[in-house]
Amino acid sequence: MSLKIGELTFLEQLASRFGIPTPDHLVEPVPQSKLQEKLKKWGSGIVKPDVLSGKRGKAGTIRKVDNAQDAIKTLKNVAASEVSDQQPRTAYVVQTVPADYEIFTAITYNSSLLGPSLTISLKGGMDIESVDEKDKVTIPVDVFQGLNAYQASEALSRLGMEGKLNSRLSLVFVKLWDMFTSTGMMSCEVNPWRVTKNGEIYACDFKATFDESNRKTSDSGIDWPEYPTKETQFESEMKSWSASSHQGQAHVSMLGGQRILPMLFGGGASTITVETLSQVGGEPIFLSDFGGNPPYQRMKGTASICFDNFLHTCSLLLILGGKANNTLIDVTFSAIADALQECVDDKGPVDIPVVIGRGGAHLVQGFAALKKTLDNCSLPYVIFGPDTPITLVAEYAANLAISYEKLKKGAAK
Amino acid sequence: MRAKTLQDLLKKGDRIAVSNITGREAQKVSVISQGYCGNIVAGWALGKDGQKITVGGPNNIPVFGQFEDMMNNLPKSKKPNKIIVYSPPDAVYGDVKEVVRFGKGIVETIYVITEHVAIEVTAKLKTLCNEANIDIVGCNTLGIINAHDGVRIGAVGGDSPSESFIPGSVTIISNSGNMVNTISSYLQSNGLGISFGISTGKDALILTQLKDLLPLVEKDEKTKIVVLYIEPGGTYEKEAIEWMKKKKFSKPVITFIAGSFAEGIDVSLGHAGAVVEGKDTSASAKMAMFDDYFSIEPFDPAKPEKAEKAIAKAKKGVRVNTLHALVPAATALLRALNISRDFKPKRPLSLNPWIVGLGPKANNLPRNLILYQGIIPPPYDELVQKQIKSGLGRTVSKQNMRNASHASSNDGSIPRIYGYSLMNLMEEASFARATLLYWIGEKPTHNFEVELFEMCLIASLTNGPGTISAIGAKVSASAGNEANTAMMTTLGSMGLTHGGNGKKAAKLLIDRFSGTDMKNPYSKKDAPDLDAMVKDHVNNFRKLKAHAKDAGVDYEKIPCLGHPVFNKDAINYDPREREVTKYLENHKRYNVFLDYYHRLTKELMNQGATSKAHAVNVDAAISCVCMGIAWPFLVDKKITVERAIDLPLITFALGRVSGGAGEYLDHRESGSGMDMRVPVSECKSLTRSKD
Repeated sequence: MSLKIGELTFLEQLASRFGIPTPDHLVEPVPQSKLQEKLKKWGSGIVKPDVLSGKRGKAGTIRKVDNAQDAIKTLKNVAASEVSDQQPRTAYVVQTVPADYEIFTAITYNSSLLGPSLTISLKGGMDIESVDEKDKVTIPVDVFQGLNAYQASEALSRLGMEGKLNSRLSLVFVKLWDMFTSTGMMSCEVNPWRVTKNGEIYACDFKATFDESNRKTSDSGIDWPEYPTKETQFESEMKSWSASSHQGQAHVSMLGGQRILPMLFGGGASTITVETLSQVGGEPIFLSDFGGNPPYQRMKGTASICFDNFLHTCSLLLILGGKANNTLIDVTFSAIADALQECVDDKGPVDIPVVIGRGGAHLVQGFAALKKTLDNCSLPYVIFGPDTPITLVAEYAANLAISYEKLKKGAAK
Repeated sequence: MRAKTLQDLLKKGDRIAVSNITGREAQKVSVISQGYCGNIVAGWALGKDGQKITVGGPNNIPVFGQFEDMMNNLPKSKKPNKIIVYSPPDAVYGDVKEVVRFGKGIVETIYVITEHVAIEVTAKLKTLCNEANIDIVGCNTLGIINAHDGVRIGAVGGDSPSESFIPGSVTIISNSGNMVNTISSYLQSNGLGISFGISTGKDALILTQLKDLLPLVEKDEKTKIVVLYIEPGGTYEKEAIEWMKKKKFSKPVITFIAGSFAEGIDVSLGHAGAVVEGKDTSASAKMAMFDDYFSIEPFDPAKPEKAEKAIAKAKKGVRVNTLHALVPAATALLRALNISRDFKPKRPLSLNPWIVGLGPKANNLPRNLILYQGIIPPPYDELVQKQIKSGLGRTVSKQNMRNASHASSNDGSIPRIYGYSLMNLMEEASFARATLLYWIGEKPTHNFEVELFEMCLIASLTNGPGTISAIGAKVSASAGNEANTAMMTTLGSMGLTHGGNGKKAAKLLIDRFSGTDMKNPYSKKDAPDLDAMVKDHVNNFRKLKAHAKDAGVDYEKIPCLGHPVFNKDAINYDPREREVTKYLENHKRYNVFLDYYHRLTKELMNQGATSKAHAVNVDAAISCVCMGIAWPFLVDKKITVERAIDLPLITFALGRVSGGAGEYLDHRESGSGMDMRVPVSECKSLTRSKD
């Protein structure tokens, strides 16, 4: 699980705390007089949306302004314009920094080095993946000792940068590391650092991802920005329910489908099930993982949220997992059965088939509990044991859902 | 890597220690592992020093407070060389540090099962372990299994590892723990067993990764084929493929790469590491890399011969697009490379429904979607028969009942029993009716049942002052106890022999009648063929008795027949049972269970199994009344069989505890203190003095 921030949070909350040089900035809404005063000092400014957009997605919305009236109009426009399908939280204007050099840096945990690493390129300002390998350097950072200025300096030398600027940048990179390691970041990227003719260094764009499992993240004191999302009520409900306990998992990621309501168990099993459903037209509503041996109340709560939102609109309910390692099937299935019964009692009967596949401890008791409820609710069902491959069950479920839809449409006509 | 072979990661004789062993998951998995291979020597958990994880026999696991204590106290032969970490995320670093400090030179491998370990901590663990020359697997691994040695670490194989892991020639390396089990089960359809099953874990940093494991696989003589389950994220596969190419890896590989559906949408997969970081790390990039390594197209299940030819030519293996295509792909690979199977293939992979209830609409479905019940493999077949098909009794699941009850509630003003207001029950003024509600969860169906139940309570009150439960009350009064203690002594003087025989009778009746379609126990018309049933029952009993006598061993008697007092005549009756029968006759009621019992005594005599018709005693009568009340609820699956079986005993106990109170009141008033004491002169010593 991870938290992300963009440049504005960095400017407002982190840069000064760690002594990282940044250009001056103002955040919308801002009085015209203030803007006038700043633009007079800066010469011009750059208006940017505060949005978490991947890659260089927000590049198209960045505007240069040099007078207060334009700036106010642009700030309002940019704040209101979606970037890569996302609504910005706000817009802000930063001082334009004329640059001789643009430098890229990223600190991240590197799967090849199995530890943190620093990547530097003197071809900053562009997408790092498009920079030639010979123009970037990655050095490992000792996770206990951290980055020292000598290491950073040597990396810059390998790229051909020597002299005073090398020393100045090295010191700034050490500050960047200090911020990275003090706040529980998983990765942070400054792209670019702009260096003026006078050798002044400014971090001119920033993004970072934090590790929610790291206590430093919660202790960092950062006031986490809330970005507008297109989250449905279901997603926010599940998000807060998922966060409310560590007992058992309650993860869902929406996939955009409407046909199959998949209640899946186990990280690997849920991935391959959704993969199969997607391949054969099952159009799963979401990717879910409800494994991790949830206690009864936890599982019932999870199931209730899913049923309240989708049971009466989907075409098939799929309850599927591999052979559980730890999860007690009677507990999870009884909870699902009780949630199902309550949903039908509250919202009226449904006419959808239910396909079930599972293995694990207390399996038959679990099947018995579900069967009883399915019989009570007059829902058609097929139950598979662990000897049927889950991908075959998923394929069957997708075909059954499609056929049932056709039957229903035929009956309606 | 310290390990030079897969055996170095786990072999028979390795000694395992478990951190946080008293935690819910660690304890459960350790008990199962201990039953499977008995390789856990100890565990540690802060503040739990001195406890034992009970497994049974010599395999109980001692618990120490800290790792250091454990190492100091275990004999040399039991000092662990493998560690499993089940600590909470925040404690993982401290625990591993302690293992490195006090286990250096002894501990060879650490498996970190814990999820949600911070990536910074994970990186530190790797550095710590590297410096101490200890291998570390995880974090978020499920563990490892060595099928040939029959040993495992962690939860690979779930609660029945030997079911999924038959020794054989495949090594599975998987990012997902569950997929190790699933793939192993699939491969049984090919007649392929397992050499090693390894869950690498799929946190963002995989500390023992594919490129570390493949050199060990190369040396494992028992491994002829490698199966890989891979998810997006990391450059692990890129580096592994580079190594395979460089070292000309000799073993064929079958690969399944999951997660391509998530590309282009903002979805994080089930594992923390399955986050696409850049090129070479996405599912499609990994697919392309493997296809390039294999030098052939991915396996097409419609064209297995084509794949066979291509595999035979390139000799490196193949990638599959769906997990169940592993099976035909493995078949093609076996043929192409002339590798023999490990055993006769198990049932082919196909849809095998265990329970089907598609209903009337099924007739309109395409034929390939209309399924019929398949063959349920053992041991599930018997369980399904018993718990689902037999149709008798409810199956309930366990849950935390600490602050919860189905039986009673109180919303602050109205106490309720199974939803019924206590005040309304008071208005009905029947203790027997309210008690039945509390015991069954539903109000009794007929009024005559309440009256019969009340008769049973009265019958249970006493059988004279000499019964041991009455003596219990009198002894307690004689000792100067209060009434409640005397009543408890009455209950404490009851057991399966005195008072509990009705429980055996209930079990017998349920066993005999569960195979019938009977719904109404009060209807002679609905009754099954009782004569045939008792004949069969007595016939079996006679054989059992004869065999037992031949063998000189005791045999299970039919419960609730005969009575020490009412046993003199050719046909005997217990007068209390007669009252129940008389009530039924007077009210023109029938009870199939009592009828069964009467016929049974006669048939026992007819077949010469007994010399006289024993009395159907009061315990049997109570059981028959209780089973009459319970039967419709059992048929409707509203109560469990276990609850029904308990009813006769608790009925007797409730009646007899009232009787015990009566004995107490009488004895306290008229008896003198200690008058139940047996004088020394009347006691016999059966032991000679020894000093």
